[in-house]
This record gives sequence, structure tokens and C-alpha cells, in this order.
Amino acid sequence: MSEFHAVAKVSDVPDPGKMLVEIDDQLVVLVHCDGAFYAIDDVCTHDGGPLGEGELVGCTLACPRHGAKFDVKTGAALTMPATKPTGTHEVKVEGDTILIKLRES
Amino acid sequence: MSVTTTAAGFTQASFNRFLALRDEPAWLRELRSDAWQKFLALPMPSQRDEEWMRTDIRTLRLEKFGFPSDAPATGAAPNGLLTHGVDLGGQTIAIDSRPHTARLNEKWAAKGVLFGSLDELVASHGEIVKKHLFRAFTPGYDRFAALHAAAWSGGTLLYVPRGVVVDEPFHMLSALTSGGVDLGHTLVILEDGAEATLLAETSSLAEGGAGLHMGGIELLVGPRARLRYVNFQNWSAGVWHFAHQKALVDSDASLQWTIAALGAKLAKVNQHVALTGPGATAQVNGVMFTEGKQHLAYNTLQHHEASQCRSDLLYKAALQDDSRTVWRGMIRVDEGAQKTDGYQRNDNLMLSEHSRSDSIPGLEILADDVRCTHGSTTGRVDDEQLFYARCRGLTRKEAVRMVVTGFFQQVFDRITIESVREALGLAIARRIREYE
Repeated sequence: MSEFHAVAKVSDVPDPGKMLVEIDDQLVVLVHCDGAFYAIDDVCTHDGGPLGEGELVGCTLACPRHGAKFDVKTGAALTMPATKPTGTHEVKVEGDTILIKLRES
Repeated sequence: MSVTTTAAGFTQASFNRFLALRDEPAWLRELRSDAWQKFLALPMPSQRDEEWMRTDIRTLRLEKFGFPSDAPATGAAPNGLLTHGVDLGGQTIAIDSRPHTARLNEKWAAKGVLFGSLDELVASHGEIVKKHLFRAFTPGYDRFAALHAAAWSGGTLLYVPRGVVVDEPFHMLSALTSGGVDLGHTLVILEDGAEATLLAETSSLAEGGAGLHMGGIELLVGPRARLRYVNFQNWSAGVWHFAHQKALVDSDASLQWTIAALGAKLAKVNQHVALTGPGATAQVNGVMFTEGKQHLAYNTLQHHEASQCRSDLLYKAALQDDSRTVWRGMIRVDEGAQKTDGYQRNDNLMLSEHSRSDSIPGLEILADDVRCTHGSTTGRVDDEQLFYARCRGLTRKEAVRMVVTGFFQQVFDRITIESVREALGLAIARRIREYE
């Protein structure tokens, strides 16, 4: 069973903004947009590109390699060349601490 | 079981201590120091490099590991999987890169064969090691190659003199304790007309234990020599595996090189076969079976440097769960390598929805009278085949197992060593899960 891990303070990530966090040897992109926090895999489903290095516009994150865009709220692939969603993880905020629970694989 | 690795990171101070504890000739100390400088100067590979684009090592923490100690390995030796029912010509076992066992059948020793820990044979047969070490290894290739060249420890030497035909396989087992480091270097030298078989395998003593393998393999196959080499990577799922492996195959010599990979958390292997003399032949076989979040990446190069050589590569991978394989294969034919016959093929069987396989074959041909072909297939288990098998009374699991076994049969048929075929078949059959 995975658990929630404290990964950052609310003040660490502006809105809009993102940061890369490491949980149990896994890299996850923590995104702050539309007043809420979301977490998605740091992996583009097209070519494995590092999404955390991509450009965030609203709640859409673009892969730095080929520009595929993902909805950070759902992980859905919004544009080619990606066709499959990337993984999402549950996020909650307790006080000023952001916690992430990795999804079960 | 003693833990023989000191995890002080790979720092200047720990390198100095490592070097001071080793009683080695000046030429080797110099080689190590040069490589250490390269390690310090080279950057960590990143996903911006073409070769590492699909292999993410950002969570690797080298500082969690360190140089092997100088203490001998003790404790019970693990059992190998490849040697069942085989009369061995000799055996080496290393734990955490420290020699544990080295034995050589006297009849081969009497013919001038050397087989044992490279560490120990440097002391007694330094001239042979000096003449050949790093002929097929480039310390400056990348940061990991540099670290290996600076810090290799334990390892195995097989030397077969001119014309000696060894008909009993040699066996080499490298084991890791949890958190251990394996920096073994394998050096195989077959002189003119010599013949030998070496079965190499790895094993983790702790299920799921972490570890780091940073290895190097050199296979030097002299004119008209014949080498069969099997390398079975069977670490636990917590081990990082980085390896630079290269063979030089001289005129009219032949090499059969079989790679099997079932273990490791992440593996990045460069396998390079250079056909350096006219008429050389190499057959390369690859068997991979992955599960969980394993990531296995293989960069292969069949380099035709001379004319009338033949190379034939077949890699087959089956993937379960969220695992991933990457194969980048290249056939390179130099300008003078006319009448080359080169082939490469990679087949992938996807057993789960979330597994992923990248297959990137390539050709670079500078000669104008060659035959070079390649192919790649990736697909799921065929539902119609399953339906057909189940109509004849097999359960779904039995049917899937049969399809997977059949998938690998093509490469098993090429492996001429029975104990290896059986061990791999069994290890794979045990891993196949129930699929809906």
C-alpha cells in the first residue's frame, strides 16, 4: 500500500508553477494551477520525455521534446504526438504541507 | 555473509584509499589514475544524450555506493543456474567484486590455460594482462566506463593458448549482497585456433536488495579461434546495471555470444562486436524478460571492419507489468569491408497494456558490395492462438505460457549449450503471470 509523502510547502510552488519531486525512487511533477495542486508522472507517453522540463500554460503541460500536451488534472494527452494519458497521483494539502500518494501500479 | 563494500561514495579520498590498499604494478596504477581523472572530468550521462534519451537515471545516487574493500569474500557461495549437469573446466565466484572461489581443472592448467580472478592473475601473470587489458574497452567512453576502468576489482581472466581446445565450459558467478557493488572486469583471450566456452551469470544474495553493477567485458578472439560466451544477468530488482561489453573477432574466428537479462532495476548495456579480420563470424543472441518497473536498455553494434565477415543478431524480449525495454542496434560496415553479410532482428512480445518497448535498428554502410538487412516486430499475444489452445483443453495461463515459450524458441534453438537453454526456459516459465 502506498502512503502520502510530504513533498513540499505550499509556498514552494507559485500558481501557476511546477516542481519535480522524488518519491520512492520515482520522479513526479507537482503542478500548481487554477488554485489547486496536481501530480503527474515525469514521463511523456510518446517518447518518454521529461515533462517536468516542459512549459506550463494554465493547467496544460507540454513535453519539451516534441510538444505533446497533457492535462495535468487528469493526465490526458491533449495533442499529438502523444495518444495515451500519463499517470496521475493523488495530492492533498495539510496546513502548508503538500502530500502526494503514488498510485498503485 | 560478510558485506565487503564500503559505501563512502566515489570521492578522491576513497579512490586514494582504494588504490593504496591494492598491491598492483605501476602500469596498472597509472591506468587506474588516468581513468579516475576521466571520471572526474566527464559529466553524468543525461537524457539530452541520444544514447540515454530513453533511459532515465536521475534517481541514481552514486554516493550511496563505494569502492570494493580489500577483504576477501567469505560465506556460503550462491548456486549458479547455468551449470546443472555440466562438467566444468573451472569456476570463479566473486561476491561484491571480491574473489571468493577460483578453481581450474588441472588438465587445462597443464596445457597453459589460465582461468581465475583477474585481481590475482595480475600478480602472477601481469605481462599477459598488461598486453591485453583495455584492448576492447574505452575508459573515456562515458563516466561509467571511466569509473569502471579506475575501480574494477575482482573479475575474471580466461586465457587459452594457441591451438588449445577446451571442451569443458568455464563458469563465472558474480553475486551481490544488499547494497553491494560489483565492478568485475572480464577479460577473455583466445589465441590462434583456441576454443572455449564461458558461462557467466549474476545473482543477488538478498531478494529485492539494492546494488550497483558497473562492469566491463572484453572478448578477444584470435584468428581461427572459437568462443561461446553466455552472459546471464539475473540481479534482483533493486540493482542498477551499467556495462560496456566488447568483442574483437579476428580472421576466420567465430563468436557465439548469448545475452540473457531477467534482473536489475535499470540496465544500460553497450554490446559491441567488432569483426576485425577477414572471414570472422559472430552470432549474437538476446533473451529478455521483464516485469514490475524494470527498464532494460541495450545498445548493440555489429562493426564490420574487415571483408567477408558475417554477423547475425537476434534479440527477443517479453514484457510484463509496467516494464520497459529499449534496443538500439547498429550494423556499421567500413569502407573496405566488402562482401559483408550482416543481419539484425529484434522481436518484442507485450504481455501487458502498460509495458513499453522501443526498438531502433540502424545501418551505416560505407562499402558497396554487401548484404545487410534488419527487422523488428512488436506485438501482443494473439487472441486467436489463445482461443485455439483453450479449445483444446488448455487453461489460459497454460496457453499464454505456451505462446511465450514458442516466442523464445527461435532464439533458444540457436543456443547450442543445453544447460543454458534449459535454465533460461525454466526461469522464464516461472515468471509468467496469469493474464485476463
